[in-house]
Amino acid sequence: MCDLNALWLDVLKIFPILSGEITSPLETVEDEVFENVYRHLESLGTITTLTSILSLEIESTIRNILVPKFWKHFAPTENETPKVKLDIPVNTAAFSDPNALFFTFIYAIDELYNSYECLELIKPRLLYLNKKPLSASSLENTQKTLHNALLAQLPPSFNNFVGDFYSVHFRLFTKDLTLSVNALDSEVFTDLPCAGCNFDLDQCCCQKLTEMVTATNVKLLKMGLIDRLAGSALTALIKLKIKEHINDTCVGIFDRSHLKQLETWINDVVMTWLTSIFTEWKSKDDISQENIPQSVQSFKVKLTYFMYETFAQNVISQFFSIIIDYPDSSPAIDDLKICMEKIDMRVYLTESLRSSLEARILHPGVNTMDILTGYVAAIKAIRHLDNTGVILEIVTAPIKDYLRKRNDTVRRVVTGLTEEGPTDLSEELAKGEFIKYGKDAGNNEYSNWENWEPDPFGIDPNVLELNNSKVIRSADIISMVVDIYGSKELFMVEYRNLMADRLLSQLDFNSEKEIRNLELLKIRFGESLLHSCEVMLKDVTDSKRINAHIHGDENSDESPLFDISSLIISAQFWPSFNKESLQLPVELENEFKKFTKAYESYKGNRTLNWRTVTGRVNIVIEIGDRVLEMTVPPTQAVIIYHFQHKNEWSLEELSSLIKVPPSALRRRISFWQNHGLIAEIEPGVFGLLEKETEKTQFDDVNITDADEEDLESAMASASDQREEELQVFWSYIVGMLTNLDCMPIDRIHQMLKLFASHSGGVEFTQDELKHFLQRKVREHKLLFSGGVYQLAK
Amino acid sequence: MAQNISPEQSGAGGSSKHNDDSLPIKDNHAVSKRLHKELMNLMMANEKGISAFPDGENIFKWVGTIAGPINTVYSSQTYRLSLDFPNSYPYAAPVVKFLTPCFHPNVDLQGAICLDILKDKWSALYDVRTILLSIQSLLGEPNNESPLNAQAAMMWNDQNEYKKYLDAFYEKHKDT
Repeated sequence: MCDLNALWLDVLKIFPILSGEITSPLETVEDEVFENVYRHLESLGTITTLTSILSLEIESTIRNILVPKFWKHFAPTENETPKVKLDIPVNTAAFSDPNALFFTFIYAIDELYNSYECLELIKPRLLYLNKKPLSASSLENTQKTLHNALLAQLPPSFNNFVGDFYSVHFRLFTKDLTLSVNALDSEVFTDLPCAGCNFDLDQCCCQKLTEMVTATNVKLLKMGLIDRLAGSALTALIKLKIKEHINDTCVGIFDRSHLKQLETWINDVVMTWLTSIFTEWKSKDDISQENIPQSVQSFKVKLTYFMYETFAQNVISQFFSIIIDYPDSSPAIDDLKICMEKIDMRVYLTESLRSSLEARILHPGVNTMDILTGYVAAIKAIRHLDNTGVILEIVTAPIKDYLRKRNDTVRRVVTGLTEEGPTDLSEELAKGEFIKYGKDAGNNEYSNWENWEPDPFGIDPNVLELNNSKVIRSADIISMVVDIYGSKELFMVEYRNLMADRLLSQLDFNSEKEIRNLELLKIRFGESLLHSCEVMLKDVTDSKRINAHIHGDENSDESPLFDISSLIISAQFWPSFNKESLQLPVELENEFKKFTKAYESYKGNRTLNWRTVTGRVNIVIEIGDRVLEMTVPPTQAVIIYHFQHKNEWSLEELSSLIKVPPSALRRRISFWQNHGLIAEIEPGVFGLLEKETEKTQFDDVNITDADEEDLESAMASASDQREEELQVFWSYIVGMLTNLDCMPIDRIHQMLKLFASHSGGVEFTQDELKHFLQRKVREHKLLFSGGVYQLAK
Repeated sequence: MAQNISPEQSGAGGSSKHNDDSLPIKDNHAVSKRLHKELMNLMMANEKGISAFPDGENIFKWVGTIAGPINTVYSSQTYRLSLDFPNSYPYAAPVVKFLTPCFHPNVDLQGAICLDILKDKWSALYDVRTILLSIQSLLGEPNNESPLNAQAAMMWNDQNEYKKYLDAFYEKHKDT
């Protein structure tokens, strides 16, 4: 029996694990002991039992001792981590916290590896004992058990450790690169900690650290753990690094391409590093393209994709600035174009761009002109990105909607088109290039099939279907801007109004420029729409001729009280005037009658209707000892004219005499109050001021800017005209509802289209009608119930 | 008024047997243009007490509304009428009928109206507006010489009695 005790001791000597010992290295055991144990066990017939006991013991050791011990290092309570003792004499206190994680990791791996090695030795011994050849499968068995046990107990914070470990590694790896980039500034850097290990340069321990890291890596590789344990942490780390890199190098720089440089960076830095991790234990000669492990290859594909994605997101998030910078920022757009070919980002792009446009320019604080500028820039930039125009259409839809709501848009566009000085729009107009639209575009689709391009992918085909965007896709910028309102007509009407204003206010206008503009617009919008503008310009030149003729003729008659120079306009072609009126004093009117007569005799069966409100009057006022010479609008002139004979006028009296409504008259009088000629002696009564100093208390109250007067348009604006049209429609609606009692909106709309469009000629969408009807409901002119409208009783 | 009658339509004037849909649109064009224009004028004039509008897509069938003239027994009443325009309009008069029951010496219980300008005195110079105004004034000034409704013509002389009867009449026809 003592034999058995001796035998057990011998067995323990060979397999110390049976007594719970897992220290390495194992003591070397003489062959005699093996021989001896084998013989005894053989005779007892317990070798199989021992084998199974051993493998059970290995498993339980791994599961119950090794793994918990390993994970204990990474327990969430970091502060209580036992002081790590390392053979390498480094001052651990000098390391920042992340570096401590780094050392914990190294230590833990070391420990794990040692135990692992020791376990690995058991197998060969067992086999040796069995006198059987060594098989690889049993080795893998241990590895698998270790993997399973490790992963089963993986704590959530472990990735931080791995991440830290590799980020230190990465830092060490890229240290040289960073230094070479900063070579010029290396003087400055001597004072800073070493980029690799955060120590002062003179006690840099990069070398040591690198050795440690390499050693650890080798150990991980040998245990086959690197993919399992470090894979996700590595990916996360590299993604982070890529993000950082892109942020460092690309943000805010749009004037050169970054993609090439980024690709090189990925290849040179990241991939080399990865390869070095996975292949470090091989000798340098072994490393060739074929030997790079599969995992690294797949990493590369993943990472390149990620790089494009990150970069594209980066560019897209700054796309607004890119738009604003546009022609300078085209390299950035080219980059994005390449990315979009590789990755489907369209939906993200349109969403992000829409929201940034909304946040940046589509709010009340922005000038309409600025919105238009942004709109034009967006058109240019996005067209550069995607020449099919689909993205453009989706992205700019909110801008168009918004601009449609602003009432000065049309005016701004027209001003932009015709204004002096360089604006985007006038330049575009001057280019004179334009693309035919309408049916020509449709024909191209078929005749030009070789250049056909499919609709871009990633866009909901329903959207495409809906927009039916053939026209817009080929349209140029001016057309896009004009398209805001969906019709050229409205723009032309506004253009005509503005032109009429200019012609009437600047009697000495520059006709050459107007004619040039008109010609350019004609090329773009066709003759028919601009015909009336042409007539207007012709009216002006004709008027000059007629004036000269009449004045030449009149010399034979008695000399006139004053000179009249008329602007004779064709009522058919000019926009309608606003409905102000003015009754001229008899003496003045006679002069106009004379002029009319002269015109009638010159022009045969035509006559003149004077529009007395519009124009300019040169007057000389002599009052007291003052003499004023000025040019004023007719109404002002008539007002002061009436004060010639009577020093005091009440508002009502004067108003009925010159047929100007009191409120308007008061505004006109304020012009003279500002000049100190008239004062409001008592409320509603105005008197002439003979002396300059005579001023009364009421003066201060009513001072308005006289210049404002001049800016007032003589024309009814487009929106006024629209209001008039709506009024027409309202009469029809009233007529309809009076006779047909109550109707649903679509029937009203249909009836209006059938019967009312003849008069106005302008279309009226159902939405617009709905707004209009709802307004009438609010004004208690209509009742709405049960889906039908009826007149309020 | 002979010069106002279109040569090819003479004799057929005032016929109520016209059928708009069967005729080619080309022939209708001038007529519908005139009706469109009349509608526009009517809408723009926005006259108190009379109104009319096409009853549906067909511009040849209108519905008119007139208010009973003030200071007559008919004041405060509102009458609906139908106006059917023949293809020869305006050379032939439209057929005008009361849709609302109307107790009146010159209106029968089916709504037919006896009014000279709708019959032999028709002229192309008349239009929807003048027709409606004429009918409105006819309410206050009936022509008792040629009554369609003899009972009404007899009662007309006593306006108080007439008013009472009228109110009862409308009370009775309220639902229709």
